[in-house]
Amino acid sequence: MTSKTLKPYLKYLSDSHIEEIHDGSLDLLENTGIMVDHQEGLEFLEKHGAKVDFQTKRARIPRQLVRRALETVPDRFTLAARNPEKDCPLIPGGRPYSRNGGGADFTIDLETGEFRPLLHADVKDYYKLMDALDGISFIAPVFGQDMPVLGRDILMLREAFGHTDKHIHLRAFTGESLKLMFEMAVIVAGGKKELKERPIVSLLEAPISPLKFLDVTVDALWLCGEYGIPLDVCVMPIAGGTGPMTMAGNIQLLNTEFLAGVVISQLANPGAPLQYAPRPMAMDMRTGFSLAGSVELGIMATAGAQMAHFYKVPVSLHGPWSDSMTHDGQSILERMYMNMMAALAGANVLVGAGMMQQSLVISHEQLVIDSEINHIAFRSVEGFEVNAERLAREVIDRVGPGGNFVADPHTYKFLRGERFEPTLQYRNSREAWEETGSKTMVDRAKEKALAILEEHQPNPLPEDIRKELDEFVPKALKSLEK
Amino acid sequence: MSDILVQMQKDLYAGNFSEVETATKTALDLGMSAPEILNDGLIAGMDIVGRDFRAGDLFIPEVLMSAKAMHAGLEVLRPLLAESGAASQGKIVIGTVAGDLHDIGKNLVGMMLEGAGFEIIDLGTNVTPEQFVQAVSENVADVVGMSALLTTTMLSMKSTIEALQDAGLRDKVKVMVGGAPVTSKFAEDIGADRYAPDAGAAVDTARELVALK
Ligand code: B12
Repeated sequence: MTSKTLKPYLKYLSDSHIEEIHDGSLDLLENTGIMVDHQEGLEFLEKHGAKVDFQTKRARIPRQLVRRALETVPDRFTLAARNPEKDCPLIPGGRPYSRNGGGADFTIDLETGEFRPLLHADVKDYYKLMDALDGISFIAPVFGQDMPVLGRDILMLREAFGHTDKHIHLRAFTGESLKLMFEMAVIVAGGKKELKERPIVSLLEAPISPLKFLDVTVDALWLCGEYGIPLDVCVMPIAGGTGPMTMAGNIQLLNTEFLAGVVISQLANPGAPLQYAPRPMAMDMRTGFSLAGSVELGIMATAGAQMAHFYKVPVSLHGPWSDSMTHDGQSILERMYMNMMAALAGANVLVGAGMMQQSLVISHEQLVIDSEINHIAFRSVEGFEVNAERLAREVIDRVGPGGNFVADPHTYKFLRGERFEPTLQYRNSREAWEETGSKTMVDRAKEKALAILEEHQPNPLPEDIRKELDEFVPKALKSLEK
Repeated sequence: MSDILVQMQKDLYAGNFSEVETATKTALDLGMSAPEILNDGLIAGMDIVGRDFRAGDLFIPEVLMSAKAMHAGLEVLRPLLAESGAASQGKIVIGTVAGDLHDIGKNLVGMMLEGAGFEIIDLGTNVTPEQFVQAVSENVADVVGMSALLTTTMLSMKSTIEALQDAGLRDKVKVMVGGAPVTSKFAEDIGADRYAPDAGAAVDTARELVALK
């Protein structure tokens, strides 16, 4: 009999903890409620049976409503790519995918190592680099500080479409630009129906912790439902700041916020694809900064993943992430454990490649290293096959005591496929290392980034689509000016 | 120093606000003057808290608890101090700039400044240059503190400084800026007086700015 090893999923919460948190969230939604800064949203919730105080914009959501909303949340969907070979199907118990951390607009200069604003020219390079790195499954925006403020998000998407055929994760600055970006995706997908079937873009939206939904968030939840665009419901209380100091309390809060998002999304568009994105953070109590790389975040995120599994929704977690200023030892230490915990927690998406210092800075070297760190995480959840041939009793017998396996046909047969072959981890002799310039891993990552930028040719947009996009974008930018 | 003030400082450090309140009343009963209790008790106590915070021995919530204790004492003294005008360290208008809704850092800075004895006028988030100008002029503020977390909204700090200039207020108010993407270089470029990287530094910076006035 052949079988795969178990899913090595980490667990902190017992089944009764999960029930308690779920029940606590229902309680909080019913009694404390959420604040919704959106008149239509409040009316909508009232129509569905929530108790609404229009003065304080507070909506108290009864449990039946939450239960009903949960029934229609899909347990799987695909983050489609322009190139279907690069699709990311998010499936319960499926393999994880990964993306870079979105929103950076500072960089560490690849040539000089200096910290500086990220510029338009860098944006193109970053997309190209991430397009080439196979440990980065899909791409989130980085922003050029020399680009016009109004419509910067739209221009970013235009650059992304031109530089990658992977799935693209969006960040919108306003509701208007969001709609325009979805229209751009319609052009590239070949129609609104085609986009719904194969959503080549997805979005992230976050309520304001604690328990507050802005008008743009509600609009985005609805617009995503209308276009069939997958949405990360990103819940990010900062423990000790915008969330309770305790880990349990932070999970209680973020789970409540997630369920509120489910209600707003699913009652309007039943079956709309959404992902649970628990991003528990922690306030550093010396500076007040919001930490992204600390071991408790990994613990809390794991508990968040357990809640996602309980609700049967795909889950995206902070993976390779760090508070370090540059791609140094601290950075690699923090992202390694963050990413391993997230992968072992059963995340469908590992988020963060390249990102550092309060989510402001990205670096080429870090992206290259994170591509490798992601591969290690992918490999570790994959486990291995167990069957008679692989248990190799016959082979052990054949080789016998004192023999060796190197030249055995069994070794030859399974030589490729059992192991992940790293491209950055140095494994040769010191002699060879010194002869080739005693390079550190960061040096090697830099060389690889430079080589990719030199050689890689992204798959261009088909000519007709490129034309249509280039007609659309200037009009879109104009329309924002009004 | 009198025993009562020593104890007051200990309670302040521990964040025991009702004890600080009681001690303040007792000190008055013992015949100490309000400015004496304020300076040698409360403010001196907060200086110890501030010193240990900067050294990394105290955490922000502990500082805020001490500040709350200080305010309990200050409330007792306020009517007496109003006469001598020594109640406040200075007036600070604070807000997150136009287009920006991030307020966690701004709130923290506000709380720490308040804890240090400043009077805070918090304009909230998405504050336009005009609103800053109006608040500065209405309140005769000593310092205006602006927060921005988005690179796109940082530029609004510059517009605000220009608006203060246009309103003829720029030489009457000190400008302090902060927020994750802001740097001291940026502060200098846009003509702000100071940048502070975190809430603790914001307190020291505000003190310096008020002293400069
Ligand atoms: C929490 C958060 C949110 C919350 C905000 C909730 C709230 N009530 O504030 C929500 C979810 C609403 C949000 C929304 C968005 N966010 Co946001 N957010 C963050 C996050 C994770 C933490 C910010 C924070 O509160 N830190 C903790 C506080 C205490 O730190 P701080 O603000 O830096 O303050 C300290 C110092 O800077 C200083 N300080 C601050 N202000 C002042 C003022 C003065 C006068 C002084 C002296 C000092 C000072 O003292 C403080 C304490 O020590 C950051 C990433 C990060 N890790 O920083 C992204 C981040 C700031 N957000 C970002 C973005 C892009 C957005 C959105 C545009 C995303 C979107 N469309 O979905 C929207 C914009 C909404 C808007 N119009 O403002 C980007 C900004 C990128 C950039 N460089 O411009 C970041 C960096 C994340 C990222 N990479 O995407 N966000």
